[in-house]
Parts: sequence; C-alpha cells; structure tokens
Amino acid sequence: MIFIFYIFLFLSIFFAFFGNIGMLRFPDVYTRLQASSKCATTSLLSLFIGLMILKGFSSISVRILVIAIFFLLTSPVASHAIGRSAYEGGILPWRRVRKKEDISEDK
Amino acid sequence: MLITRRKLFKPLQKKRKEKVKSVNVHSKWKIIRILLTTSYLMLGWIFFTVNLAPFSLFLGLMLSFAVAFFTYDLFIEKEEAARRSLLPRIYLLIIYPLVLLTKVYLASFKMIIPVISGQSNPRVVHFRTRLKSELARVVLANSITLTPGTLTLDLDNDHLIVHWLDAKTIHSHYAARLIKGHFESWLKRIWM
Repeated sequence: MIFIFYIFLFLSIFFAFFGNIGMLRFPDVYTRLQASSKCATTSLLSLFIGLMILKGFSSISVRILVIAIFFLLTSPVASHAIGRSAYEGGILPWRRVRKKEDISEDK
Repeated sequence: MLITRRKLFKPLQKKRKEKVKSVNVHSKWKIIRILLTTSYLMLGWIFFTVNLAPFSLFLGLMLSFAVAFFTYDLFIEKEEAARRSLLPRIYLLIIYPLVLLTKVYLASFKMIIPVISGQSNPRVVHFRTRLKSELARVVLANSITLTPGTLTLDLDNDHLIVHWLDAKTIHSHYAARLIKGHFESWLKRIWM
C-alpha cells in the first residue's frame, strides 16, 4: 500500500514540476494556461488517488472521493473561464512561424 | 435502469399525446422533479456525512426535502424535453471517470515532450458535437478541458471552439475525431 502511495506521490511531484516549467517556457496566455492548469490537475488527481489508496476503504477516503469529484467539476470551469475571457478580449493565439528555409519557393 | 425509466415516463408520454388536461401532467412532473432533486441531495448528504445512523438519515432526508421543495425549479427545467438528462445510466457513469482518468494520464505524459523541448504547434479549431442534451455537452466540454493539451474556449449550442496545443490538422472533421475521441460515444450512451 505505502509503496503504491509513494509511486502516486512521485507522479504528483513530477507533473507539478513539469507544469511549472511549462508555465515559464510557453509563449502566450493559452499555452501557459494549458501547461499550468493541466499539469496541476494531473498532479492533484494523482495525490488524491494515492491518499485514497493509503487510507483504504474508510470514511476519510469517501470524503477524499467527494473532494476529487468537486475538483473534477470546478477545475476545468476555472481554466475555461480564463481562456474564454482571453479569447473574447481579442488576444490572438500564438502560432509557430516557419523558418524561411523550410518553406519551398515553388509557388 | 431502462425499465425504471420507462415506467417513470410512460404515463407522461401517453398523456401528452392524448392532450388531456395539462394541469394534471404538470403537477405530476412537479412531484417527479421534487423527488429527483431530493434524491440527488440525499446522495450528497450520505457522501458527506459517512454515517448511516437512522437519526442522521432522517435529518438528511428532511433537510434535502426542504431544500428541494424550494429550489427544484432551479435544478431541473420546466420543459420535459430535458428529462432524459436527469436519469443517466449509472453503471456507465461510474465507468466514465475511469476512462477520463486514463486519457488524462496518457495525455499528460505526452504533454511533457513540448514542455521540455519548448516546441509546440498550437492552433484554434472549431467543430460541432452530436450530443443533444445540454448537460452532456457541458460534460464533454469539461472533459476536453481536463485532458492536457486541449482547452475549450467557447461552447455555443453545439459549436465548440478548442485550443489545441499540438495540432495535427485544422480540418474540423478530423480534429473533432482526434479531440473528442471516445468521449462523445461514451456520453451518448450515458445520456442518450
């Protein structure tokens, strides 16, 4: 039990770390939102799963399940609200621009 | 599940077809709405207070009935057209989060590559869903947002605008097939 819990804890730290790196590295609002909210979601979910496995089937794990369900409902709504307000505000999404050498000049 | 649903709604359908006095139908629908809201609230109560003592259950039933009596109009719409979204197939509703979890984990492992290399190809894609019920559409949009790499920017009736981190196509049909994946078929089976 404890070993599985450690695996999930490690996964949680791993995803949180990469989420934060992505937050710093990506170029604009949308991509940063993706990196931060998504990796945070995965890390928190794996933390919840690990705690549920550690506690077994008890009253505390049922409460953790309820918290996890509410988290599943609210977290995407929050990131959707930020993304939507940015999109309605007219912020253009960043696009990768190809180098000149990559574009063929046949046309 | 199917049988109970038919039993619940068959009299309603019959009466609407025959166009008998609409008052009776409305009051029946009102009672069903109150009972459904009560049962959902009761389920929440049981999950929060993990306690099966009779006094606790009685208190929860009373409180949830009182709340349902005043707020059933907010939770369940007056139109009966939305009634199918009220009774999902529960055994599928339990499986669906597991499907979602596996998708989320797979996608977040894929997400590590653009984070490390710093190379991504983000695009905004538009597509439509075939889901009829509002609740199912909201769940679809939320599960797309929850999957790493895709972010729902807008949901207007059946039209979704999605920001895709690692875009393979801009063609709406293929993009829809890649993004929605199994979600839509699962939700179709849950909420019809």
